[in-house]
Amino acid sequence: MLPLEHLHLKHVLQTVGVLEAVILRSFGPEGGQVLFTRDTGQAMLSRSGTRILRALHLEHPLARMVVECVLKHSTVTGDGSKTFILLLASLLREIHTAASKEPHVSYSYNSLEAAEAATARHLADKLLAFALKELDDLIAMEVASHGCYISWEDFTVETHSPAHTNNHVQKLFASFFHMRLGYVHCAFISELTCELLNHWKCIGALPSFALQFLKDNFPALHTPVSGFPVTSSRLVEGQVIHRDFATPCPQTDHQPVKAVVFTGYLQPRLLNTGDVLEVGCGVTEERSIVHFSAWTERSLKCIIAHLQSLGISVLLSAVKQSAAVLALATQAEMCFVECVSEDELSLFAQLSGATPISDCWRIEPEHIAKLTFCRPILLGAHRYENMPVFSLIYKATHLPTKNYLGIIYTSNLQTLVTDAKPCSLIICGPGEGQTDQYACAFQDAISMLLTTWEPMPETGTTVAKRTVQSNKCTSSYTHNLTDSSTCTSSNLHSLHKCVLQPGCVIPAGGTFEFLLNHALLKLSHSCSASNDTNIGIPVSRLLASALLSVPKQIYSHSPGQFLQTRTRHNTTPIQSEVFRQDLGLESVSCKYQLLLAVLQCVTSLLRVDTVLHTHTALHTQSLADASWESTEDEAED
Amino acid sequence: MALNGDDEDFEWEPPSEAEMKVIQARRERQDKISKLMGDYLLKGYKMLGDCCDVCGTILLQDRQQKNYCVSCQELDSDIDKDNPALNAQAALSQVRERQLAAQSPVPSQTPELNGGPSSGQPSVSVPQPRPEHCEGAAAGGRALLPPPAVPPPPAAPSTTALAPTRPAVCPQNPALRPVLQEAEEAVLTKLRWATTQLQGAASLEASIQLCSLITSCANSLRSLKELKQLSIK
Repeated sequence: MLPLEHLHLKHVLQTVGVLEAVILRSFGPEGGQVLFTRDTGQAMLSRSGTRILRALHLEHPLARMVVECVLKHSTVTGDGSKTFILLLASLLREIHTAASKEPHVSYSYNSLEAAEAATARHLADKLLAFALKELDDLIAMEVASHGCYISWEDFTVETHSPAHTNNHVQKLFASFFHMRLGYVHCAFISELTCELLNHWKCIGALPSFALQFLKDNFPALHTPVSGFPVTSSRLVEGQVIHRDFATPCPQTDHQPVKAVVFTGYLQPRLLNTGDVLEVGCGVTEERSIVHFSAWTERSLKCIIAHLQSLGISVLLSAVKQSAAVLALATQAEMCFVECVSEDELSLFAQLSGATPISDCWRIEPEHIAKLTFCRPILLGAHRYENMPVFSLIYKATHLPTKNYLGIIYTSNLQTLVTDAKPCSLIICGPGEGQTDQYACAFQDAISMLLTTWEPMPETGTTVAKRTVQSNKCTSSYTHNLTDSSTCTSSNLHSLHKCVLQPGCVIPAGGTFEFLLNHALLKLSHSCSASNDTNIGIPVSRLLASALLSVPKQIYSHSPGQFLQTRTRHNTTPIQSEVFRQDLGLESVSCKYQLLLAVLQCVTSLLRVDTVLHTHTALHTQSLADASWESTEDEAED
Repeated sequence: MALNGDDEDFEWEPPSEAEMKVIQARRERQDKISKLMGDYLLKGYKMLGDCCDVCGTILLQDRQQKNYCVSCQELDSDIDKDNPALNAQAALSQVRERQLAAQSPVPSQTPELNGGPSSGQPSVSVPQPRPEHCEGAAAGGRALLPPPAVPPPPAAPSTTALAPTRPAVCPQNPALRPVLQEAEEAVLTKLRWATTQLQGAASLEASIQLCSLITSCANSLRSLKELKQLSIK
């Protein structure tokens, strides 16, 4: 019989409370960093919530579930992992308090705990339903009206006049990078990101297309270089392929350079391992292995000659070619790059419009890419006298060289709008860990911007809601005149601004939570004024009080400031001069998605009843074998 | 699942102040546990899927595969401090309560109490557990023995009761002297014992209790001396 463990609400609370305690000290602009050390001696500082949570050793199934939810959410929106855990913990606490006050007595339960658990589940479901139905309206009406909208045109202005148009996007990035990477380099990095987006913005009609493209191809579009200060990060023209030339690259003055992508082997594989070649069994002439290899070489020469006749001078290969091929290519003065990764090849194919080919005899014009230049690029340095003539570069330090291939395209972009200037990002950092962090931060910033620009889906419920609201208003008109005025005005508002426009941002620092808290409390008051039963009241109040935990934590070092900010938000609407303050900006739709994700996580957490412990044979043995494996590794090293 | 309002059999009332204190203390304890566990997780401990059998907290496992329960091994127990068998403080508070309850209907017995208000021997008709019992019980549960502070509290009410009955004491002077002598000796031995204990005491609580015992021994000695002088007169 497998051991059963019944889960109580307090287990859930404890698990989430522990995770909250882990990330609490790194939360907020005043938050600290966590130092990660490995047994190998590597150390890294990080403030990123996903990195911290991923580094924990967790075997508890609930904790792993929560961390997985956080990671998935962060992959989509790029931000908000610590806020997720905070909100989750405070929501669970509020639900627990509410459930212990009125446990469900309509059904008979074994114990008070079971009744509490059932009430908690019910509350969580109600919360989720409320959020899915009414929250976006509330946000559109109350919160978004205090924000501003960033538009895609913000990028079209050239960067030499950044007076006011680029400001909002840059501010958004600046506050994001401030939270993620620290104060020192956030301005520089946000400028670099804006520049990158500027270059890539014309790639599609919709802004989201370009951002999605960037997000999907980011691994191929950036090069991490460790050992340099962060401020040496820059953009380079064209695409950087992270492989060196296998053959020396000659100077090519004539343009355009023609390139082909090969997915297979140039030299045909006539013999496989295990095959037996019988040579010399012909009746007429004496044949030996020398003749055979000469024959294969001749066929290779034909292939290379064919490529030369087509004018191809650059060959990109996904696999490693044989030495004979490389030798012949060197003779023919063709540049060869081997073992190019798949994402880089697909990016190359997308940008150049040339499809990869596996058989060299069937090369058609659509397989040939036309490039403006193709040259090696030296990133991470080397001694000065060894630098090739055409490399672009950088200060000499004593770190190993990586020779890369830089390619730029002519405007032969068939599938994409031709004004795009493809460029690649070089990210520098003092150490490998830091560089990796900066790269992740870039990618997450692009995800965040993409989420900001995604339009909110208008479901059938919002349409139905509009009619329901109008009915409610006409009925309450006769009852209470004062209520009706607010009702009709809100009805008008809802008709005009029911859908949250994409691109809305508001000042950071807990503004979203304060405004939404205020709105939810107003809603609960108005619901209690009308004849509704207590369906909406506890739920919106629950959510309202849970939301306050985020700004409380942000202002944890100065509770006075928390109260001040709260009263300011409750009494006066935010004026536009707030944007001139140094608060930074955050995206409304990211916050909304975060709330929804948290509520869904709460629902699934509270639905768990029992935990079954299963031990596989491997698991019990692994403890005994662990020491044996580690000694073996040491022996290998 | 409809929430119906007919929960007449369970009316929720706001918790009383004592209950609030308990709830608050429990919440603080839970917060402390979570914080400790979070710190251990950041140190590299593993959070297991099992719970402790004793207290129900989630277990942690360190690099040496040893299981560790934060609340059992680090924090003081929540309920143990109310168990008189394990905690001398709880035992003493129980004793005090019983004495207060018993002393109010028995004020006439105070003249007989004069002879040995602060003696360690229970030569009174008030049923009180012997301090040695408390000591023994405490020795079973804890390493340090806070000494029984039983003598001081009865000393306090009985010294106040002593004053008005002093005139009644005078006629019994000659019989009192050996009793007073015995009492003085007993108090002095206790004082000596307390001093040796104080020298070896490591915890703050024990030291405080020992000092209060010494204070009350001194007070008893003073009152015994006064008695002697009165009896001499």
